[in-house]
Amino acid sequence: MQTVSKPTIFFLLSMLALAGIPGEGIAQRFNHGGFSRPGAPAAAPARAVPQPVRPEARPAAPPARPEIRPGAQPVERPTINGGSWNSGNHDYSRPAEAHENVPVRQNVTARDRVNVYHTGGYRGVHPYYYHPYRPYYWGPHWHPLGFFLTALASDAIFFSLNNQRYYYDDGVYYQPSNGGYSVVSAPVGAIVAALPPGYETTTAGDGNNYFYFGGVFYVYTGQGYQVVMAPPGAVITQLPVGAVEQSVNGETLLVYNNTYYLPISQDGQDAYEVVNP
Amino acid sequence: MVKKTFVFLSFCFLSAHLQAQARRIDTVAVSILDRMSAVIGELGSCSVTIKSNYDVASKELGLVKHSDEEQLYLHGPNKLLLKSEGDRGSRDLYFDGKRLSYYSLDRNQYGQIDAGLSLVEMIDTVNKLYGIEFPAADFLYPSFVDDILADSKELVYLGLTRIEGKECYHIAGRGSDKTFQFWISDDAFSLPMKMVIVYTNREMNPQYEAVLTNWQVNPDLPDALFEFSVPLKARRVRLVPLSTHKK
Repeated sequence: MQTVSKPTIFFLLSMLALAGIPGEGIAQRFNHGGFSRPGAPAAAPARAVPQPVRPEARPAAPPARPEIRPGAQPVERPTINGGSWNSGNHDYSRPAEAHENVPVRQNVTARDRVNVYHTGGYRGVHPYYYHPYRPYYWGPHWHPLGFFLTALASDAIFFSLNNQRYYYDDGVYYQPSNGGYSVVSAPVGAIVAALPPGYETTTAGDGNNYFYFGGVFYVYTGQGYQVVMAPPGAVITQLPVGAVEQSVNGETLLVYNNTYYLPISQDGQDAYEVVNP
Repeated sequence: MVKKTFVFLSFCFLSAHLQAQARRIDTVAVSILDRMSAVIGELGSCSVTIKSNYDVASKELGLVKHSDEEQLYLHGPNKLLLKSEGDRGSRDLYFDGKRLSYYSLDRNQYGQIDAGLSLVEMIDTVNKLYGIEFPAADFLYPSFVDDILADSKELVYLGLTRIEGKECYHIAGRGSDKTFQFWISDDAFSLPMKMVIVYTNREMNPQYEAVLTNWQVNPDLPDALFEFSVPLKARRVRLVPLSTHKK
């Protein structure tokens, strides 16, 4: 067995003490990747660029997205980190699967759905600006929630989602009811190849475009426009008939289809911001 | 009547869709983080005071709280000075673009690592190879928001609150092995004011907390600030990579 001299032990201990290194780092732990290249030149790694597929024909083209920045950008003067990546244009599908199997202990009993927001709820980024609610209709073919029709147009589209039968006609979703068809909430997850004329576009803060028609929000996917939950922070200009006013913390919000809308003013125009009170 | 061309696809059978539904990413929170990251990415230089608290898990005492106070100076693209005082002792880190110098004032010892890297590459490399931590360095990564999004099951903007007298956006999130919170100043610069990380996969769930104050944006920092001069009678020792520690 080899013996270790006292000076050697002292030297090793002094090196450890100098480094002051804890067993597990705690201050810098967000799984940043692509930088550990000792001796490598200062260049940012290539980034995956999502390429959304556009349909060839649709009523109106969605606004073009800005290009994803592939890494450090050329700048006139050096910056401390070369510039942030993908600002406003993130790849939300980039998964973090590396830790999927890490068991997470729950030492603290946490209540579900406890209100964690400040001042009792989500505060919109726009200041509250009350304006009277004026119900909006998206043309003669559009109908509000609960509206009953004895018959649908012959070219209404039938589809099934989550074991529920739906019909779609001009931006409105129906289900069979009492021998006819009743307007129902748009099922989240359904995809339409194109949107009816009259939709508006909005961003909810991340630079991704949301599309809005008849009280329904959509995101554009490679296959079409997918129904999504109302994204907090999205700003729209019209609310359908059927919204009701509700006082929350002294502010009058509009509630439509279980979504809260904060009256605001944007560019001098009455508008609403999706909030979560 | 014009023939309609709407075609529906059912996504309920796609696992990717189900996975996407399981996440809750508040786009307002992303926007705030984007703004912060964009401003940091444009800084040519900065300095900030960082007061950090961190837990050390002890079987006998449970979580023991320690603290450090650090002054960080950065100058793009590759200069750093970190002066640290606290429970880990008094330490300085100098990086002049070519070499990282680590100096312990308590022991009058220093170690050096050759690292001809950019600032973030040096921070990342030194952290991973030597375990040397840079306080709140996550904010400096140009991929900060992408990295947060990649690991987040939840990311929510909670509203406005005050940190050190300054109104801040409060953002909370949950990743696979941690929960985290950020407070971002609600002013023109949108700089980070506070961060908290709770490690949910470690024994006793230790926390790291850092409060960032005294931000100086684009100060004129002389190069000499980042150059290490060996103090009188200081003894040089070799910095040991983490892999050596574990053997």
